Amino acid sequence: MWNLYRSTRMPDRSKLDLLQGTLDLMVLRTLATLGSLHGYGIARRIEQVSGDHVILNQGTIYISLVRLEERGWIRSKWGVSENNRRARFYSITKAGEKQLAAETENWERVAAMMGRVLADPGAES
Amino acid sequence: MTSFFRLLWSRLRSFVGKGRLDRELDVELATHLELLTDEARKRGLSEADARREALLKLGRPESIRDQHPHARRLRLADLLVQDSKYAFRMLRKSPAFTAVVTLTLALGIGANTALFSLVDNLLLRSLPVRDPGQLVQVSVIPIFPGGFKKGVNAFDGTVFEAVRAPDRPFADAVGFMRLDRPTVAVDGETELSRNVEQISANFFSGLGVAPVIGRTPEPSDNAIAVVSARWWRARFDGRQDVLGRTVTVNGQPYSIIGVAPSGFYGFLVEDGADIWIVSPEAPELRMIARLKPGVTAVQAQGAMHAYFRQYLVDRFRGQFPPDQPVETELLPAGQGLSQLRGQYRGALLALMALVTIVLFTTCTNVGNLLMLRNAARRRELTVRAALGAGRSRLILQYLVEGSLLAVLGCVIGLAFAAWGVSVILSMLPLPAIPESLAFHVDARILGFAAGVSILSALLFGLAPAWRATDVDLAGSLRSSQGATSPKRARRMGRVLVACQVGLSVLLLVGAGLFVQTLRNLSQLDIGFNTDRLLQVSIDTRFAGYGRRNQGGDADSQNREGEVAGVLRLLRERVGAVSGVQSVTATRNWLMRGENSRMAVRIPGFDPGRDAMWSGVTVGPDFFETMGIQAVRGRTLTAADVTHRGRYVINEAFVRRYFPNDDPLVRAPGIVGIVRDVRVFGPRSEIAPLMYEPLQVEPDRVSALQVRTAGDPDTMASAIGEAVRSVNPKLFVGILTMREEIDRGIARERMVAAISAFFSLLGLLLASIGIFGVASYAVAQRTKELAIRRALGAGRWSVIRESLRETSVVFVLGLAAGTIAAVILVRLTASVIAELLFGLTATDAVNIAGAVIVMVAVAMAACLLPAHRATRIDPLAGMREE
Repeated sequence: MWNLYRSTRMPDRSKLDLLQGTLDLMVLRTLATLGSLHGYGIARRIEQVSGDHVILNQGTIYISLVRLEERGWIRSKWGVSENNRRARFYSITKAGEKQLAAETENWERVAAMMGRVLADPGAES
Repeated sequence: MTSFFRLLWSRLRSFVGKGRLDRELDVELATHLELLTDEARKRGLSEADARREALLKLGRPESIRDQHPHARRLRLADLLVQDSKYAFRMLRKSPAFTAVVTLTLALGIGANTALFSLVDNLLLRSLPVRDPGQLVQVSVIPIFPGGFKKGVNAFDGTVFEAVRAPDRPFADAVGFMRLDRPTVAVDGETELSRNVEQISANFFSGLGVAPVIGRTPEPSDNAIAVVSARWWRARFDGRQDVLGRTVTVNGQPYSIIGVAPSGFYGFLVEDGADIWIVSPEAPELRMIARLKPGVTAVQAQGAMHAYFRQYLVDRFRGQFPPDQPVETELLPAGQGLSQLRGQYRGALLALMALVTIVLFTTCTNVGNLLMLRNAARRRELTVRAALGAGRSRLILQYLVEGSLLAVLGCVIGLAFAAWGVSVILSMLPLPAIPESLAFHVDARILGFAAGVSILSALLFGLAPAWRATDVDLAGSLRSSQGATSPKRARRMGRVLVACQVGLSVLLLVGAGLFVQTLRNLSQLDIGFNTDRLLQVSIDTRFAGYGRRNQGGDADSQNREGEVAGVLRLLRERVGAVSGVQSVTATRNWLMRGENSRMAVRIPGFDPGRDAMWSGVTVGPDFFETMGIQAVRGRTLTAADVTHRGRYVINEAFVRRYFPNDDPLVRAPGIVGIVRDVRVFGPRSEIAPLMYEPLQVEPDRVSALQVRTAGDPDTMASAIGEAVRSVNPKLFVGILTMREEIDRGIARERMVAAISAFFSLLGLLLASIGIFGVASYAVAQRTKELAIRRALGAGRWSVIRESLRETSVVFVLGLAAGTIAAVILVRLTASVIAELLFGLTATDAVNIAGAVIVMVAVAMAACLLPAHRATRIDPLAGMREE
C-alpha cells in the first residue's frame, strides 16, 4: 500500500543506470566495512573501490540512505564533517548486517548464474 | 510486522515534520557539495570549475529532492491537485461523456436528496423548540353510543391552569388557535393569505423559542403580535423598525413586539403561521403540554384521565352520561402537527426505497461507461505503469476522477433536488407550498448529498479502476490494442449490465403497482356523471349565519332559519347565471372524505344499539343535479324538506340491514333506494349510506353543486360572482368535480408519476447497457461471424450466435431481479398495502408484466446489433483484423 505515492517521474538516467537494489547493497557493504560515514564518504568510497567504474549521480546516495534507514538496516546521527559542516553519519545495524549477508549470497548466486548463461556460446546470435 | 510499523512511523513522522526533513536533506546536500568542491579545488581546478564539477557530480538538487522518498511520497496535496488537473483535462476532452455521466449521476443524487429532504422535513425533523420530545397535544375524546368519537382539543384558561398545577404530570402548557380566515392589514393595506394564530402569553417562552429581534410576549402583555421571519423579510424588508408597528387583525390593532426565528412557523407543519397575537379576549385554545422530565405520555394519560372525564361532564352538562367512556389522547407534538405526515409517511418511504434503487442503477450505468472509456485509455495506462506507476497510484488517479464527477453530479443533483421537491410539493393537495416542507440547502441536506455522492463515487469508481489498472505490461505494450485482459474487463461489464436489468425489474414492479393503483382509482365508477359539474365551497359560519358556538345557545333556531334563507338566495342567484342547469347544496363537501356519521332511528328499523353508518345531508334537487336515479321508490322531493324523517338509502344499506326485507315496506321513513355512489371520493368504500334532507336542520352549508350546460371552467368566475353577490364572505373556492376527485387521489398520482419516471429512466439505462454488450459482442466476433456467413449460415443462426452471450447476461439479470422483486413485495406487502388500490403488492400479473416489458425493451435494444450481425459482408469481415 505504500506504493501509493511512488513517483510518476522517471529517475535521471543520464549516468550509468544503477538498479536500486545494487546501490543499496553497495552502501550496506561500504558501511559494514568502514563503520560510520556520511553521504559524501560513502559515494567516494564506492567510486574508489569500483575504480571509478561506477559513476553515480552522487545525490542518489541519499535516496538509497533514506530507504535503508526506513527499513531499519542503517541508523544515522548528526555530526561534524572534516570541513567543519553539519553532516549526518550513517552506520549499519544488526538487521542491516543480516540483510547484507543474505543479499550478498543472493547476488553471488545471480552473478554466477548470469556468468554461466552469458558464457554459453549458443546464446550468441 | 515490526518493520511495517517502523515504516508507518517513519512515514507519519516525515508527514508531520516534512519541512524539517526537507531542510535536513538540504543541509546534507550542501555539505556534500562543499566536500566535492573542496576535492576538485585540491586537484587544482579554478573556483568556478570546481563548483561546476561538484554540481555535475551531485546531480540537480531539485531532482534529488523530488526523488527523495519523503518528498515524493508525502506531497499528497500536490498529487491530488495534479491528479485533479489531469482529471479535469480528461473530462474536458470528452464533453459528451462527461455530460452523460454527470447528468446520470445528478439524477440519482438529486432524486435521493429530494426525497430525503421531504422525509427529513415531514418525518424526521423536530420543531426548533426546547426539548421537543416532551411536547404533546392534548385532546379529550368522548365516545358516544355507536362508537362515534368526537374529539375536543380546544380548552379555556381554567383547563390550562389545572394542567399546569404542580401535582400534574405536566411541567407547562401553551396554547394556540388558528384564526379562521382572518382579515389582516398593515398601514391600512390588506394582506392576503397570512395565517394568524392566537396564542397564550407563555407560548414562545414555554417552547423556548427566542426572537430574532425584539422580544416575545410576557404575561402582562396585551394586544401585541409576534411575526414570522419570512413575513418580516417579505413585508418589512427585514428592517428593525418593524418593532412597534401595528398589524390589524379582524379590525383589532396589535403592536408588533418581536420577530420569530426563521424556521419556526408554529405547530401546523403544512400551513405555517406568520402572525401570532396575544389578545385580551380569552377564547378556547389548542393545548400543547410539556411532560415533566421522566414522565411518559402513557403515565400522563392515566394521571389526567379522571380530571378530563369530569371536565367533559361539566362541559356537556346534561348531555353526557357519567358512565360514558372517554379517551385522553396525548399526541407527540415535537415534530409539529401534520395531516400529511400520516397520509404520506408510507408513500415517502416507498419512494425513498425506489430512489435508492435508482441510485444503484445510475451508479452501475456510470461504472459501465467509465469502464468502456477506460478500455479506450488502456495504452495510456500501460505506459504509465511501465514508467513505474504502481497500481494503487493508478487507482488513486481514477478515484480522483470519480470524485470530480461525483462533485459535479452532487452540485447539479442539488439543483435537481430543489426542482424535484417543488414539483412533488405542487402535486400535493395544498393551497400553497408550505415553507416548512420546501427545499432548503442546510448542513443536513448537504451532508446527505455529499454522503450519497461519495458512496456513488466509490460504487461506480472503484470497480472499474481496479479492473482498468490490472495491467499486463509485457503483453499490452506489444499488442496494438493495449492493456488489460479484455476478457476480465468484459466480464465486469456484463455483471454490471445484469445488475441494471435486475434493478430495472425492481423499479418496473414498483412502478407497475403504483401506476395501476392510479389507473384503478381514476377509472373507478364514482356512480354519477362528473361532467360539467362544479363544487363551490362556501362558509356560512364565517359569513355569520347559523350557530357558531359548539355548546349551542337559545336563539339557535333563528340562526338556523338564516342558513335556510341564505341557501334559498344562493340557489336563486346561482341558478340565474346563464348556462347553469341546476343547483343543489350539501352540509359537507363531496369527494373530500367521510365526515358525517348517523344513527337515525326510523320506525320499523332497528339495526341495534351500536349501529352507525355514513350520512350525507343534501339540499333540494340533489339527486337531479348529481344525476343519481332511484333504483326503487323515489328520491327526496321539495315536499320532503318540510317533513322530518324522510330518508333515501343506498343499495349497500339494503344489503347490510335489510337482507331479507323490503325497506320501503318495513320502514316507511325510507322513501327510496339509489345505486351505490362514492360520494366521499374514489378511495372510499362502498358502505351503507343514508341521504338526509338538509332543510331539517341546516346549521351550516359547506358546498354548492352546480351542473352546467357548457364548459364548467368558463362559468366558474360567473358562479363565484353570484355567490359573492349574496355575501362576499361566503365564497371560499370553486373546483370542477373532476378536480375534486383528482385532489382526493393526489398522493397516488404523485407516487405513480415519480415511480413511473424513475422506472422509465431505469429502463433507458438498462437498454443502453444491453445495447452496449450486444454491440460489443457483434463487433468482437465480426471475423468469426463472417466465416460462418461464408460457410452458408443463415441469418437467424448468425443472430442467435452473436446474441447468445447477451441473452445469458440478460436472463441472469432478469432472473435475479424477478426473484428479488418477489421477495421484496412479499416483505413489504403489508407496509405498501395502504398505498395500493385494486391490487395487492404480490400481484403476479404485475410482476409478469414487468418481466414482459423488460424482455421487450431488451429485444428492442438488441435490434440494431443483430441487424448489424446479419449485414456482415463475409469477405470484408474476414479481412478485418
